[in-house]
Amino acid sequence: MSGATFDHLKALIVEDNVHMRTLLRSLLAALGINHVYEAADGADALATLRDKAPDMILTDLSMKPVDGIAFTRSVRLSHDSPNPYVPIIMITGHTERHKVEAARDAGVTEFLAKPITAQGLFLRIAEIVERPRAYVRCASYFGPDRRRRADDNYAGPWRRHEDLAKDLELK
Amino acid sequence: MTARKSPPHKHARAIKIMPGAYPVFSHKTAMRLLQLLRDPEVQETAARAIVDKAEELRIAVLAHVGRMEAAARSADLVTTFEQAHEIRGLAGNAGLVATGRIANGLCKYLDAIERAECASDRELVVLHLEAIARAARAEDEATRLGDAVANELAALVDKKLAEINDSARPRPGHGVRA
Repeated sequence: MSGATFDHLKALIVEDNVHMRTLLRSLLAALGINHVYEAADGADALATLRDKAPDMILTDLSMKPVDGIAFTRSVRLSHDSPNPYVPIIMITGHTERHKVEAARDAGVTEFLAKPITAQGLFLRIAEIVERPRAYVRCASYFGPDRRRRADDNYAGPWRRHEDLAKDLELK
Repeated sequence: MTARKSPPHKHARAIKIMPGAYPVFSHKTAMRLLQLLRDPEVQETAARAIVDKAEELRIAVLAHVGRMEAAARSADLVTTFEQAHEIRGLAGNAGLVATGRIANGLCKYLDAIERAECASDRELVVLHLEAIARAARAEDEATRLGDAVANELAALVDKKLAEINDSARPRPGHGVRA
């Protein structure tokens, strides 16, 4: 199976550390993804996104001047975003809860903590390929559905308009 | 059936866009990718690519350690934190496990004090910076000694974080209007 390549599949790596960029590139190459574009920060990445239309994005969080969260928000919300639905995997050493939540609320599809493992990255890619998530648009958010599982025992809080309908039905 | 409690806030009107209503990977591409992602040979090639990069990353970590020490000497906390963060991100893949753990502890601590808007404990920061530098430069980084130092420092950070959380918690009688 190895040795196969994807001629049409394109990936964008957004990472300010050149060593990490080459590491990620080699992991994608192992998968046969050879059309890999690189950007050193979110601003560069937005330009590349317009030019190259990648099928997936791997981004770091801490970058200057535009970090991974601001970049993700631009991809999802900017009126001239070329593809607001592109899957975004955030790969970062920041594992503090508030950072992870900020990334999720910006519209990141998957989150991967450093150090990078091949298994960790491949699992995230498999997730976006095998189980693409619905997107949710509301006044305060656009991005992949943040409710990843349907839980029959979930007791709230109920924030969405359609939840209110369910809520009233049950009363 | 018990009624669910009504939410205290206004409900947002959300539109759900299902996969297929927006472009997704074609079935053929998805199947092929999944096959490759689960192929042991591909996984081994990828894992080897990470191992092959370790020495290059170790050299990069040492360069960041030098920059971190210089920033600390000039009391530049922002650059110190940036460099510690870079070390945390690279050390694990460089095979410098203890270094990565110690840097992670320092980053957690600096992040917490920044959020709590309180002054950093200079001694704790210096202790971490010295431990990061020593661990990264040690030939035998991956020893039980490195682990022990990382554990001790992690316990210290946890204690400090608990103190920060305690001081941020409202005390009885405070913030209550008469």
